[in-house]
Amino acid sequence: MIAETAVVRDLPQQDLLNELKAFISGTRKFSRQNSLELTKTALVLLKKLPACRGAVFEYFCKVFDAAASNYIESIETEIKTGKLPEPIETDELIVSEIHAALIYLISENSIAWAPTISTWSLELLGEISTKYAGRAHISTNLNETLQLWMACRGTRTLVDINTKCLSSLIHSDTEACISALLDTSVKHSPYFDWVVAHVGSCFPNTVITRVLSVGLKDFSQNRSCDQVRSSPKLKSVVGILGHLAGSHTKDIRQAIIETFRLSLKEVFTDSDAIRLQKKATVPYILQLMYLSNTLLSSICHDTRNILTVDIIGKLRHFTDDWIKYFGTPEALEEHIISLILQCQTGGIQILNLILSCAQITKLKGCNESAKTDIREKALELLENILQEIEESVRHGTAVDMLSSCAKNISEINEMLLSSNKIVQAVGYRLILYLGRINPAVLVRAITFLMEYAKTPDQLGFVLKIITSELVDKTVPAYSEKGGHFSVVLEQILSRNIQKYTQSNEETLDLSQMWTNLLTLLEWEKSDKISLLNCRFVSRALEENFINLTSVFSSEVHHVHIIADILDKTGIPMVSSSYSPPIRVILNLTQSAVNYFFACCRAEGTSTKLRGCQRAGSILKRLCIYSKVAKVLALRELLEKALFCSEKVLFGAKNSTVHDSSEKMLLKQNKNISKTIPLTKHSTVFNGGIIGLGKRKAFVADVIPTDVIAANIAELICVLKSCCTLMEEEKYSEMSLDSMTLLSLLLVQFVSPDVMYNGLPWPEEEFSKVTIERDLFIRRKFTNTPLLWDLLSFVAVSRPALCYCSVLIRALTATLIHQWKSMGDHSKETGNENYTVLLDTTIKVIDVMALGQLLPPPLSNIRDVLPSLRCFEIVDILRDCVWCYMRDHIPSPALFICDSNGVYWRDPIMSRPPERYTNTLRIIMQRNMDTLGHLYSQMYINIPHYE
Amino acid sequence: MMSGSSDVNLKQSLRKLEYPLCAHEALKKIVELLTARVTNIKNMDLSLDLMAEFVFFEVDRRGNKRPTGLSPLVELQLLEILFEFLNNTQSEVTRNTLFFNLFSAITINMRVGILGKLVSLAIGIPSSIILISASTWMQQIGNTSPSSCKLVEALVFDYAHLAPNLQDKMKDLPKIAPEFTANFLTGVAENYYVPKKNPMFPPEVLLKYAADWLTENCTLCLAPQAKAPLLPPGAIAMEATTPIAGLLRWCILAPIYEQDQDVYTKLYLALLNSIAEIPTANAPRVINVQHLTATVNLLHNYVKTRESNVSVLVDPALQLALDRFGQAIQVALSVNAIYGHLNELFNSLQKLPFNKLISIVLNKYKLSKSTPIIIV
Repeated sequence: MIAETAVVRDLPQQDLLNELKAFISGTRKFSRQNSLELTKTALVLLKKLPACRGAVFEYFCKVFDAAASNYIESIETEIKTGKLPEPIETDELIVSEIHAALIYLISENSIAWAPTISTWSLELLGEISTKYAGRAHISTNLNETLQLWMACRGTRTLVDINTKCLSSLIHSDTEACISALLDTSVKHSPYFDWVVAHVGSCFPNTVITRVLSVGLKDFSQNRSCDQVRSSPKLKSVVGILGHLAGSHTKDIRQAIIETFRLSLKEVFTDSDAIRLQKKATVPYILQLMYLSNTLLSSICHDTRNILTVDIIGKLRHFTDDWIKYFGTPEALEEHIISLILQCQTGGIQILNLILSCAQITKLKGCNESAKTDIREKALELLENILQEIEESVRHGTAVDMLSSCAKNISEINEMLLSSNKIVQAVGYRLILYLGRINPAVLVRAITFLMEYAKTPDQLGFVLKIITSELVDKTVPAYSEKGGHFSVVLEQILSRNIQKYTQSNEETLDLSQMWTNLLTLLEWEKSDKISLLNCRFVSRALEENFINLTSVFSSEVHHVHIIADILDKTGIPMVSSSYSPPIRVILNLTQSAVNYFFACCRAEGTSTKLRGCQRAGSILKRLCIYSKVAKVLALRELLEKALFCSEKVLFGAKNSTVHDSSEKMLLKQNKNISKTIPLTKHSTVFNGGIIGLGKRKAFVADVIPTDVIAANIAELICVLKSCCTLMEEEKYSEMSLDSMTLLSLLLVQFVSPDVMYNGLPWPEEEFSKVTIERDLFIRRKFTNTPLLWDLLSFVAVSRPALCYCSVLIRALTATLIHQWKSMGDHSKETGNENYTVLLDTTIKVIDVMALGQLLPPPLSNIRDVLPSLRCFEIVDILRDCVWCYMRDHIPSPALFICDSNGVYWRDPIMSRPPERYTNTLRIIMQRNMDTLGHLYSQMYINIPHYE
Repeated sequence: MMSGSSDVNLKQSLRKLEYPLCAHEALKKIVELLTARVTNIKNMDLSLDLMAEFVFFEVDRRGNKRPTGLSPLVELQLLEILFEFLNNTQSEVTRNTLFFNLFSAITINMRVGILGKLVSLAIGIPSSIILISASTWMQQIGNTSPSSCKLVEALVFDYAHLAPNLQDKMKDLPKIAPEFTANFLTGVAENYYVPKKNPMFPPEVLLKYAADWLTENCTLCLAPQAKAPLLPPGAIAMEATTPIAGLLRWCILAPIYEQDQDVYTKLYLALLNSIAEIPTANAPRVINVQHLTATVNLLHNYVKTRESNVSVLVDPALQLALDRFGQAIQVALSVNAIYGHLNELFNSLQKLPFNKLISIVLNKYKLSKSTPIIIV
């Protein structure tokens, strides 16, 4: 400060006046030489004569401009010559003089000086930036411009002065400074942007809030939409906020939301201007967001927390005031729609908000008609938005809002399950639009529906989505894999398979999915739904048969429903165009067999019954379709029923007692190097194995006999299905080949030996050679009662039983042996052994009679036996049965095929010669008292051809 | 007498000079024209033309308005020329005449900015000669008129707002130009304590200046009335309003607006002293009744808007304000300084809430008038 001067009237007058004159003459011929002196004079005037400030500042402008010009020139010289000229000292000196003086003024009396100086410095910066724009610039990049100017002493000083102004006012009144900032920005954009960026980054919060409020003030003065559109201040606000958005998004967001919240609060003390501003806030924010995508995205990602239905209820009253800023209500709506469509995040939140408005039922301070209004408007808005999206999607143009929804697929999927029709429809349409861009969305949505849809209504969306014309049917996923639905199934199934293979504990409950799949299939098969005419369900199933069958084989919980689905598909069909690969056939066969046994195991008759029927139906189709399948099915069925753990279901005794002594075959082979015994055990006669003591009695599983009977019946049924002929014939539906196969399989399974398995019966003496094997077979029959039923089943389909000749022979041989050793007293005492033996004998004779291997009267022996003594039985078995069989080889040649294709032996024509029946006759005559009625039947009243 | 062609010649010759140098020549011509023994309308018109074109640079040679004003630097050059010219014009009558014509009631709105800067320079440099003319100008145009108020506002901004540190200049102002100081205070008093005006309260520095000036010089308020202004022949001298009523308004209203700085007490005391010093002879017209009544109305408004739950009798701020009011009236009455219809004042005083001092004043007046006054 200049020292206080004593009050003398004339002297100071002369002093100051001289200074003034010096300044005026100095500025008239401004040059570098006098500038330092002149600056000092100017500073004196500024302090002593406030009226001169305008002129002084204008002079400072020149000084700074000169400094900037020198700077730019030196840079340009550097670019040209590569050498940076020395900075001009006086420039530096003057600038620092001015800097110090102004800073002093600001710190002394900020409220008075800061607005003036700030406005001046901003204006000057704007002018300099514009004046030298394009010079010494490599690019117009904001950061490079910033660096360029911050390296200049003059402009850096100005920026610093301005910063000081702002920071000195930060607690009182920044409005004037910010308003100047905006005005200058309007005037000198875009060259001024670097200043804005710099100031903004120094005081982000102040600049943001002030810029917003100054903009709002200006905006609220607008009277028409044209004015709004042409408002440079608004653009400037957007520009500045846009600059700051990069690093201060959060602050901007916060400031905008704060402005919005403030506008919702009505206070009685508000002045008219404030009221107007509050009313203009929403249009203002809408315009800002319209002009800047950054601002839009900073707001829209969290609409949920900003806008609620209640707030919309409040805003409802202001809409009339908003319209003037947009022109017409339609323009406002269009504006909002275009904003919504531009949202890059949070699109789903906005839709949810509109949806909740559309369903509004309760709203504070709203009467019924107002609520109806809101609902209708919301629906209209929603429809418009969706239509816009659809339009764009059809033309292949991207919609930001839609892409933002892509992040919330699961939420959209949930919408499909909503109880509200509108929500459902919106979800459906969104999925279609998203799916057109990215088919994976469709797949995900359908998968979701398949897993969670509970009502036919919800499931119906699967059809609607898949058959929609919006779905592009040429994309790879569609064209290669047989449609989206097939991809869906593929994903679900492979996940399901993974569940087993990787044993991850993901709780994947697919029951609903299976139910839904079945429902869809049923719909398709019902032929009542036109949407399903393209048979996409079947096609998808066909496409996924490999997976489906493998799931079928591994699944436990949903096996019935899968079986139902497989059954309903009607695959494989000979007439169908679809031919499943052999792998599928085998897989399915195997699984169906497994399923059958699972059903047998199941409790509860209805599931069991239906399951067995399904298995039969599947197997029937398979066996007709493929011979391999038939072989596999029969073999599997038999093997499992006879040997595996399932055999207990059919009444077999569980003999799988694992002895520790049971040795590996390999080891046994090593032990016995010279001779290989025919059977495992060295002896079969005694009740035990030498060295191991007596055979242990088996603990029989307790399965009720009726269940066993039912199981056996079901098994026979299934076998029958497997052996069914393709074309249903009139008299026999069984395929002879299949029965032969079955018969051969029985032999293969039951007879442990490949030797002597032929059809002919040798001399009875020869059975001594085969006795061991015969006993083995016999034990099989004893332990596995099912075999009897199987034999009977085979016997019915003549002449298939012929191939089981060896089994019958073995049984007969053992019977003869046993009867020989059975004492007569056993019969009298009702010995159990006796009864069992008699029973078995009768069974054998029955089977032979059924298979027409024994013609009458030999076929009637069963009735005779109980009355005879043991040695008589031996005689009959040896002389009649054995000898007859020995001389009449049981072969298909014995049978003739009649005109209906049925094989049989005419009992009249094939009556055995006397020598085979005499023994029986004599024995019967000997026991005529008891067997008289039979005798007449067998020997006297013989039917014969006339 | 000058013919039309000589007018053109005059203008042409002036146009040869660069602006603002031509302003100096123009001013000389204007003075010639204005002080011619026989003035006629034509001369007046020419002088007005010259001012607009060559002094203030408002119109171009065709008389069209220039789109942009002067730049600050050029304006400063003009100010310097005006300052020098006026400062060197010895005849007060001539100077005042020129001053009135430069800043006439018609053109003042355009030129108030330059006027403000000119007077600001006159204070800062300082120049008592120019300040005397400015004071006369204020007086003639009305020192409480909007134009005067605007001028005063600019000065307050410069010296109280921007440069509160130039105290030596302000301290000496009454010594250099007492009439101007008084008129300045009259004007400044009108600018504050006006409801709904921002800022409502005078800056602290200004208060301090006013208090200091009045404390040092009790007769300052009467200075304009003490010296008759030197006016061009034929002009009617206007009566100068004293700052007393206006400044009293500040002191009375300050308590109810919670402005309780000591400086108000000091100013109030100085005012009372100033009133007491008024010579009773010749019935001076110091305080106009209407000027005081305006304050009563403001108090009324306050009573109406204040919260009713506090009794007016125990509202200390209001009572202090009324005390001050009553006291001032009493002192003024004692020196017979109030002129106008006293009945009007006392009738409005009756409507104010009860205050002991005021009731005493009222009763005394009633007795002196011996006319019945109904006290509610």
